Amino acid sequence: MTVRTNLSHPSIRWMLSKPITSASAASCWSSLTAPRINLPRRYHSYQHPAPGPSSTTAKSAILSASLPHVPSHGFSDTALAFGSRDAGYLDISVNMLPGGVFDLVRYHLVTERLRLGDKIDFRKPENELPEGLRNLDITTKIQILCMERLKANAHIIHRWQEALAVMSLTENIPASMSELAKLSDEIWFLAGDESHDTTWYTKRATLAVVYASTELFMTHDNSKDFEATQEFLGRRLNDLKTAGSAVSNVASYLDFTVHAFANVLRSKNVPFF
Amino acid sequence: MSARPLSRGLLSAAPSKHLRSVVPRVAASHSTLVGPNSSPSKDDRSSSEPVTHFGFQTVKESLKSTRVAGVFSSVASSYDTMNDVMSFGIHRLWKDHFVRSLNPGRRPGGQPMSILDVAGGTGDIAFRMLDHSEKVNGDRETTVLCTDINADMLREGEKRAIQNGYDSNRISFRVENAETLESIPDNSVDLYTISFGIRNVTRIPMALRAARRVLKPGGVFACLEFSKVSPAPLDAIYQQYSFSIIPLMGQLVAGDRDSYQYLVESIKRFPPQSEFARMIKDAGLVNVGKGYKELTFGIASIWKGVKPLE
Repeated sequence: MTVRTNLSHPSIRWMLSKPITSASAASCWSSLTAPRINLPRRYHSYQHPAPGPSSTTAKSAILSASLPHVPSHGFSDTALAFGSRDAGYLDISVNMLPGGVFDLVRYHLVTERLRLGDKIDFRKPENELPEGLRNLDITTKIQILCMERLKANAHIIHRWQEALAVMSLTENIPASMSELAKLSDEIWFLAGDESHDTTWYTKRATLAVVYASTELFMTHDNSKDFEATQEFLGRRLNDLKTAGSAVSNVASYLDFTVHAFANVLRSKNVPFF
Repeated sequence: MSARPLSRGLLSAAPSKHLRSVVPRVAASHSTLVGPNSSPSKDDRSSSEPVTHFGFQTVKESLKSTRVAGVFSSVASSYDTMNDVMSFGIHRLWKDHFVRSLNPGRRPGGQPMSILDVAGGTGDIAFRMLDHSEKVNGDRETTVLCTDINADMLREGEKRAIQNGYDSNRISFRVENAETLESIPDNSVDLYTISFGIRNVTRIPMALRAARRVLKPGGVFACLEFSKVSPAPLDAIYQQYSFSIIPLMGQLVAGDRDSYQYLVESIKRFPPQSEFARMIKDAGLVNVGKGYKELTFGIASIWKGVKPLE
């Protein structure tokens, strides 16, 4: 996205023509006109820190107190009740969460997504990155970030299928998909990807698919330190590279064929060509 | 404010016949309440006692509860039959959903709950609460106190509790005004429910404050009530149904047109979803989510509020 400021827009012209004389005039002016101007702007998550997973403190108190109970009680009402009690509320207070168990799942997803940037951030200058994370290609960066995020599920992986089941309920699908898309975006962003073309969308969409399938694979992974998951992820990302080049090969083949066909028609004096 | 002397001037200048045609229902109700000779609207304004609405009629606040009591005394025995007929049985689904979403009952490692069901005379919600806590949470200790301003409705509930074999240690019935809840101590209730009752309360904010008083910190206020229907075309059909068919059915099935006329009028007068959510917030409870959840296009809604910790 680029910044396109239309300076000939009437409201902007009006703004430019008004001299700002005093601080009070400025504040009055901004309060009067600010909501009406909606310029397209660059969005970066570090400029607009995402609000916490839950807007009210009472809700997040219950949710954060419930997460430690997930390994033993799963993503369930029981875990919420224990969390509610730990936070000083009553068992019935879990009614404060309109989505019930799904709110707990989403809380986990959002906190881990926001935490990912604190763990690894490839946007930093190379010399600030730890040894072993320097001078990597983009696929490796993506793989490292994905693994780092997946490892945040490690301690609850035996309960993760419950979470997936809750996420796949009809009423929860839109929120789950949106959360997956945000995670995919966050991973590309932290990897330092700065594409401005249509691959912005395809990259995020394909990574989301790869991430979701790896996450599912991980629930059955018994290998030490989830090595099998790491290999699975590596293979999927390689497939993507192959698929990506296959798509571009097919595209150039079609482009050539269409042009050749058009030229043949032109040589036969077909109208419109 | 400035419009008031003007309107009063207009009213007093108008011939009394014209006045009656403008406010026929008010005139009709007051002719029986305050006597046929006094001009009704003049009387409302000059007397110091505040007025409230009873359906589309305007009555003194002190009279509303007796009028409501009259309505429910007359429908007590046929109450559930009529509900079934009018809502095609959907009110059962709403009540089931209401109770399931609250999920009452003791959790592993927790305490039994103390539930207060206000305006729950016939025990509809109370029985569901007990069933849910027993079947879903395996809890045979949670207790429900059913209160109602109307003893006839409570008798109906008590009769059913005995018929269906509910444990008398777990369910009790008591006449209580929702506005005061006098006999119920502060901070004593886990869950306060009021189902299709709050719109009959004369001073709703007072009832909400009483609910906050009796709830434990962290306790939940839950209300199931009729609300505003959207989208508009559906609302038009709904209004047609409620104003022409429901009173007729009341006449045919329960032999009581006026009570059901009151029912539909009181639904119409109840504030919209968001406004009632704001009233809950004003009473010092924390709205859950946006404050309410609509059922069946908003014909009914569930409002939830949580009493904050100090």
